[in-house]
Amino acid sequence: MKNWWKYLSILLLFYTVYFGFKGTVPELDILEQSIRNLYFHVPMWFAMMLLMFVSMCYSILYLSKQQIDADIKAAAFAKVGFFFGFLGIITGAVWARATWGAWWVFQEVKLNGAAAALLIYAAYFILRGSFDDEEKKARFSAVYSIFAFTMFMVLINVIPRISNSSLHPGNGGNPGFNSYDLDSDLRMVFYPAVIGWILLSLWITTLIIRIEKVYRKKHQLDIL
Amino acid sequence: MVNILKLVRKELQLEWRQKTALGTIFIYVLGTSFLIYLVFQGHITIPVWIALFWVIALFTTVNAVSRSFLKDANEQFYYLRSIATPLEIIFSKIIYNAFLITILSLIIYLVMILFFNENIENKGLFLLTIILGAIGFSNLFTLLSAITARTQNFVLLAILGFPIILPLLLLIVKMSELSNFAIQQKDIYMHLGAIAMLDVITLILSIVLFPYIWRD
Repeated sequence: MKNWWKYLSILLLFYTVYFGFKGTVPELDILEQSIRNLYFHVPMWFAMMLLMFVSMCYSILYLSKQQIDADIKAAAFAKVGFFFGFLGIITGAVWARATWGAWWVFQEVKLNGAAAALLIYAAYFILRGSFDDEEKKARFSAVYSIFAFTMFMVLINVIPRISNSSLHPGNGGNPGFNSYDLDSDLRMVFYPAVIGWILLSLWITTLIIRIEKVYRKKHQLDIL
Repeated sequence: MVNILKLVRKELQLEWRQKTALGTIFIYVLGTSFLIYLVFQGHITIPVWIALFWVIALFTTVNAVSRSFLKDANEQFYYLRSIATPLEIIFSKIIYNAFLITILSLIIYLVMILFFNENIENKGLFLLTIILGAIGFSNLFTLLSAITARTQNFVLLAILGFPIILPLLLLIVKMSELSNFAIQQKDIYMHLGAIAMLDVITLILSIVLFPYIWRD
């Protein structure tokens, strides 16, 4: 059972989808049934942050060890992280439409920060495409990736606290989800959902890494 | 330390010798400000003034800094490598670029006052914001220009720089508004602290990462 975590991911996600739509949720004004998006929107961002962190770790590893394997992994984690960030924006926009009344709200610094974070990583992929030399591509994009993650963290964590104009729970004087009864019903689905989505994102990443390695082998790109 | 000063002097002398390059960036500043003046038909409010000021400053920075490693990309690269450590190179470039950006921002400031007849309330605080902002811009764009100088993609610096400068830019714009009108003194210190912190973080990252860029 080397792949036990893949089965666990499938199991948790089935559980999430079933109880996410059928389970009982606290009845709150404005949020109403849209609170079920908690199981989908929030884990996307957790997954993205984790993947970008791992990507940065591989970038650091590349700079210290100079092995192309680390660069392939850094790029793959960033790719999947970008995808999950994109899903996070979409699920967030749907939720914003239902609760705040618009797909995109300017006063929401986290939203703008998230969009900027996606731009930062889009630039990372453009940078990777701008080099012919593989070693240079790996080295320069690793340097940029470390910058990118630092600024991503500043955007998501520092700016919202200073500007104090967020509509998200727990920001700008809004009560956090903890102060509602996240105690039983929500927690029972939320934590499995987070683990399930994160495992799925890791699974997708391992597949992308394998595809890349097969591609390199087929075209004999690895100079030994 | 002596080496750093010598390198900064080298940058200044090179720039002074190529007056066309320097003139280009000055005319760029004047042209952009004048264009904005005409497009907005001569009248804007202070928040718009601040926003336009920093947008012009950002675009000018990208144009001015993008050249900073082009000269050194080819033959000079090996010579510089043999006479100075990467640390000395990056320090000298950052100091020089911060100086250049500060000067350019001050020119934009004067031109904007001249055209729009509007001014910031607390000028000393705004000048401090300009200097701290110039240092942050210099830290980030100097390192990024070292990356982009190796590619043939000239739009790349803007693509890489704009989203990554955003946290700093947001804080600077807020700080500029506070230097015009602040309700609480506490806000000013918090924003100044945050900008200074970002300057330090970007400086440390640039210094640590530059040696990896500065090789063939």
